[in-house]
Amino acid sequence: MFGLIDGNNFYVSCERAFDPTLAGKPIIVLSNNDGCAIARSAEAKALGVKMGEVWHLSKRRPEFRGIIAKSSNYALYGDMSRRVYEVLTERFNRVEPYSIDEMFLGLTEFARTDYCRRVRDQVRRVTKIPTCVGIGPTKTLAKLANRRAKKVVAMEGVCDFSNDDARRQAFHEMPIDEIWGIGGASQAKLNNLGIFTVEEFAALPSASVRELMTVTGQRTHAELNGVSCMPLTMAPGQRKTVSVTRMFGRPVETWEDMREALATHAARAAEKTRKHDLVATAMQVFFHTSPHAPEPFFNAQRSFEIEPTNDSFAIIRHAVTAGRSMWRPGLRYQKAGIILPDLHLAADAPRDLLPTRDPERSEKLMATLDGLNSRFGRGTIRPGGIRPKTAWGTRANNKSPAYTTKLADLMVVHAL
Amino acid sequence: MGERAYRGDDTTGFQSPAQDHIEAVPDLAELLELRRPQRFAVRVKGDGLKKRGIHSGDILVVNTDAEPRTGKVCVAFVHGDVVLAVLTEKDGRWWLEPSNHAPQPVADDTEVWAMIAALVRTDV
Repeated sequence: MFGLIDGNNFYVSCERAFDPTLAGKPIIVLSNNDGCAIARSAEAKALGVKMGEVWHLSKRRPEFRGIIAKSSNYALYGDMSRRVYEVLTERFNRVEPYSIDEMFLGLTEFARTDYCRRVRDQVRRVTKIPTCVGIGPTKTLAKLANRRAKKVVAMEGVCDFSNDDARRQAFHEMPIDEIWGIGGASQAKLNNLGIFTVEEFAALPSASVRELMTVTGQRTHAELNGVSCMPLTMAPGQRKTVSVTRMFGRPVETWEDMREALATHAARAAEKTRKHDLVATAMQVFFHTSPHAPEPFFNAQRSFEIEPTNDSFAIIRHAVTAGRSMWRPGLRYQKAGIILPDLHLAADAPRDLLPTRDPERSEKLMATLDGLNSRFGRGTIRPGGIRPKTAWGTRANNKSPAYTTKLADLMVVHAL
Repeated sequence: MGERAYRGDDTTGFQSPAQDHIEAVPDLAELLELRRPQRFAVRVKGDGLKKRGIHSGDILVVNTDAEPRTGKVCVAFVHGDVVLAVLTEKDGRWWLEPSNHAPQPVADDTEVWAMIAALVRTDV
């Protein structure tokens, strides 16, 4: 049996955990660069803030006046996610962290509604994060039960679909877009055929689902009917790409600023590559102006192969050289990015017969760089040409402290 | 930091007799159980609990999973403030006694956030 536990408005709950002034107020958390709403408290949802709402366009609307918009604080959310995971591993043998705010659980036959309700209380007490739990014989059913637990207050945060009768009744009322993996095009397709509820979808013959929605849809359909097709996966699959792309805090107009942005993104991409013991064999570099600006849109992009490496200096050099060759002055650039699209395990990477760098020396230098940065904080040691604070840096105007990971940022407790 | 990491083991001339016995410095994060999900470090501001040995600037390591006990110091949310208070039980009800004002009953807009577990002071 599977469980799915997820944090209610997770990012908002992380903010509220350390700031009692946020209780009961409409709160949203904005994406990188303070762009769009990516988490909303119940109060903010009630005021009509949509997921993905572009905040700088909407914030002046009179009904949104009282909303508190926080910049995203991923150092905090990541650590809180870890804490939730650790509490769960004390209560369940198998926990799969599926995303930062949802974990699949392997449930024994004794762990049902009451047990999950106690775990939910414990997660709340220990981490301050309110959650909901869905239970079902497949991942898709556990996820669907979780949706229902969120919606139906009387369930007190836990919905159990392990029993066939219990779920049949709910299926009748639930629209198909509540199903994990169904939305957009597939929803429209099904609606056109007069299929609106989970009950109607589950009753379709398997073969016609395959015809309509390929194998993925067929798998979803089987899981809804209680046939488990997706086991718990305990380790993430090997990463195949790394991308570091950012909107600028304000438009970049000089090559010096662009060069530095590309170097910073390249250094971060190289660091991520090393973290997974991978090497890059190809690279994409791009930057573009705003598609919404009155001036014509300009988009520069290059893809090319590189000698297999995860050396920050090599990757920076490639990025800057490619960027320079595409640079066009006199424009206002809005975004730049580095993508390493073809990663291989360092151990089985193709070795050049005549490498242009001493691989052993590079490996040692990079290990030192990563060691210092992990010990003293990201950015302690930076390849030349990357300044600690920059004009183009990402906007984060209302970011809370890194309460749980930085000594300078600890929650202050008043003893007056 | 030198040009390379030397930990008492990897000498250039005479082989270090300590090379198979190298240990790291004591890990205070381990002592304080900082990696456990219920442990949080917080910073004290104000000397109101000096009589309990807690000074302004101290780091307290708190436990969000500990049972509340009468007479113990806790971190609490009280009307939107984060405060340090002594927790007491009287006639089956829990009260918070912040040093500066009257005891508050633990009720809807007050929350016991964590109990104090350890104290770190670096300016002794």
